Amino acid sequence: MKKVKNFRKSKKNNKHSKLSLFQKGDLKFSRSCPLSGKNAPVIDYKDIKLLKKYISESGRILPSRVTSVSLKKQKELSRSIKRARLLALL
Amino acid sequence: MNCYEHTLIARQDLQEDQVKKLIEKYENIIKTNSGKILKIEDWGLKNFSNIIKKNKKGFYFHLKFEGIGKTIEELEKAENIDQLLIRYLTVRVKSHDLKKEYFETKDSKEK
Repeated sequence: MKKVKNFRKSKKNNKHSKLSLFQKGDLKFSRSCPLSGKNAPVIDYKDIKLLKKYISESGRILPSRVTSVSLKKQKELSRSIKRARLLALL
Repeated sequence: MNCYEHTLIARQDLQEDQVKKLIEKYENIIKTNSGKILKIEDWGLKNFSNIIKKNKKGFYFHLKFEGIGKTIEELEKAENIDQLLIRYLTVRVKSHDLKKEYFETKDSKEK
């Protein structure tokens, strides 16, 4: 019970901060995948705004254990990030 | 017929008519090799995130077309020996999304 409370608190405080590679477990955005579901955005290598959420400050791809993206979408995501890198967009 | 998206990056130090000629050249290559162009987007001069072959900026062009394997083969063959280009990328997509534009194009700016 206590853990759940802490999780909510930290989520509030870190609403606008960027996720980092060395994120602690209880600072996750959400438990469910933000990219699958009904109104989820389409992953595209041209959509830089979306892709920037899922890379660290130094440009590395964030692991799905931090961002809680599902395996299927993480594959799609990393592929489109690599495409964007090739075109020097990221 | 397959759907393809193709992005070209041309060198920064080109004149306007040179850039136009470059795009016309690749349009012709696609058309003569049983391809059909649906849309051309001009993203304009953009800064690179990292330096590529001592270049910091480049002209971006985005083509959406239908074609077969041979179209891509001929297109990339011509691009490999073209010194005016820096890079290109071909992606096969299931269906074309002609409405959504992620970058400001020259036409959308004028509107």
